[in-house]
Amino acid sequence: MSKKIEYKVPDGYFENLKTRLSAIPAQEKQPSRIQKFTPYLALAACFAVAVLVGNLVLNRTATPAASDEEIIEYLVNSDITLAQIVDCLIVNE
Amino acid sequence: MVEQYSEQLYWHVRGLVSSHEDADDILQETFVKVWKALPGFRGDASVQTWLWRIATNEALSFLRKQKVRAALRFESLDAEAERVIDDDPWFDGDDAQRRLAKAVASLPAKQRAVFCMRYFEEMPYEQISSVTGTSVGALKASYHQAAEKIKVSVEEED
Repeated sequence: MSKKIEYKVPDGYFENLKTRLSAIPAQEKQPSRIQKFTPYLALAACFAVAVLVGNLVLNRTATPAASDEEIIEYLVNSDITLAQIVDCLIVNE
Repeated sequence: MVEQYSEQLYWHVRGLVSSHEDADDILQETFVKVWKALPGFRGDASVQTWLWRIATNEALSFLRKQKVRAALRFESLDAEAERVIDDDPWFDGDDAQRRLAKAVASLPAKQRAVFCMRYFEEMPYEQISSVTGTSVGALKASYHQAAEKIKVSVEEED
């Protein structure tokens, strides 16, 4: 049995990788776009919450629709395990 | 650190996740965490062990998400792993190598990590133990099981 799997990488990949990885500390120190716009985002969030609450008050029967993919990505990025999903499926059967 | 370890660490992660693009993303995420944690690094472990621990945890987290995603879509994880290897433009092996890669990809994530570190990277059990936080005895048992599964899997296709 081979002691190596023959993977390859694009030409010049490792030079490029080292440059990118070395640049991370400088990027991390700079305020991100999100940080720069935080005050504006907070204002927009307040407005969105106000609209949402207003909407809920005006239309109590309305339910926000999430696509299957959105739900899957939400669950994938939570800490849920396969065992917990199986448990949920069994309970809901 | 980047100069000394990035290439070796890339091959470690690539062995765990197979795909070049996924390995690249995981490595980027690993070094973001490394730079953040560097001021608190006390030197209890060697730099290499510390880096391997962060990268391995990132790769295992990626594999966990992949597994959950496949389950929620009612897809077969093994079929998905085989597809990744078959469609990978950066795979350069022959049929025997392809079978080996698929057999490794079919192992449970933690077992795959142990197998890759021991078999391909020839890392001593003591170091794998520092990386994974698992006892040497448990690692030996896990490696033995993985090697048996791979042997059966590769021979089945012959």
